[in-house]
Amino acid sequence: MNIKVYVDKGNKEQTINVTTISEIFKKLNLSMDSFIIVRNNELITEHATLREGDTIRLLSVISGG
Amino acid sequence: MACKQCKEHPVITLTNSPISLCKRCFTRYFERKVFKTIRDHKLIHKIKRVGVALSGGKDSLTVLTLLKKYSEGRAMEIVAIAVDEGIHDYRAHTLVKAREVCTQLEVPLYVYSYKDAFGYSLDETLTKLKVKPCSVCGVFRRYLLNKAAKELTVERLATGHNLDDEAQTILMNQFRDNPELSARLGPLTGVTENEGFIQRIKPLYLVTEKEVMTYAYLNNLVIGFNECPNAQEGYRNDVRNLLNKMEEKYPGTKHALVNSFLSILPMLKREFKETKSINVCIRCKEPTSREVCQTCYYRGKLNEH
Repeated sequence: MNIKVYVDKGNKEQTINVTTISEIFKKLNLSMDSFIIVRNNELITEHATLREGDTIRLLSVISGG
Repeated sequence: MACKQCKEHPVITLTNSPISLCKRCFTRYFERKVFKTIRDHKLIHKIKRVGVALSGGKDSLTVLTLLKKYSEGRAMEIVAIAVDEGIHDYRAHTLVKAREVCTQLEVPLYVYSYKDAFGYSLDETLTKLKVKPCSVCGVFRRYLLNKAAKELTVERLATGHNLDDEAQTILMNQFRDNPELSARLGPLTGVTENEGFIQRIKPLYLVTEKEVMTYAYLNNLVIGFNECPNAQEGYRNDVRNLLNKMEEKYPGTKHALVNSFLSILPMLKREFKETKSINVCIRCKEPTSREVCQTCYYRGKLNEH
């Protein structure tokens, strides 16, 4: 299914075809330890079930100095 | 996967164990863990006045929030100290958030600027001196925080360092063959024998960066991603990525690294006990191992221009 993913560090937004959140991290080559996952302003975990048309925001946990 | 304890919607899966927790259970777990670190390592034992080095980022705002909570019902005061380096389009944003949270928590905030203390902002300093931004900024910040802490009669100064920060620094010191620097790590640091130094404490020592971010997000302590334009953390970033890869493949790696480090830290501290005598700088009277401290060295260079 098509999922809109926004990654805050670098302000990238893209639509990717995945079925799980783990796949998003694999496709974008990102570490799950480096981001929290937000859907509709609600925190979710990597085990949450994705729904068609979801917009997922990945917020970096790394401080900016 | 529902919350392990109450079956509610989970907000985090812990990295060192396959447990998911909801907002309420995670908040309780996180606060208990930080308070246990404070007690186990006697970070504020018999301390009446604690300063929090506040940048306005999620780590320091989380420390402030938790120390304020911990202080309730105890004879302990909390004050916040922020350093304004004078970096265009950066620090002003985080200071807005710092002020907002301090007002909510009713914690007094004292802002010290490089411009007032040294005559030049960091941006101005960098146009005059050909030095790495983080080198001069680190020296100025440590100096100013220590000086501010003494002026405000703070007995200990809390920083927002978390488990990820510590794990990275331990590994960086190992990779660079620098055990002496590792001897200065730990949840409570600084020289006790000299009144010129205010000891530093790290209440977030045993919680991960992801846990801090989760707590901060749930408590509205996060500002949009805001990176210092001078940040040069190439080596640390490589070590962070390495540790994150290890953690994903072997959960618990970061905790194991920091816990094993804590078990050898007393030996390291004995081996590398501060042997250099601590003097006072002939110019500013602040403590230093040299005749002239590094801050006054930079100040001298600035005044040559």
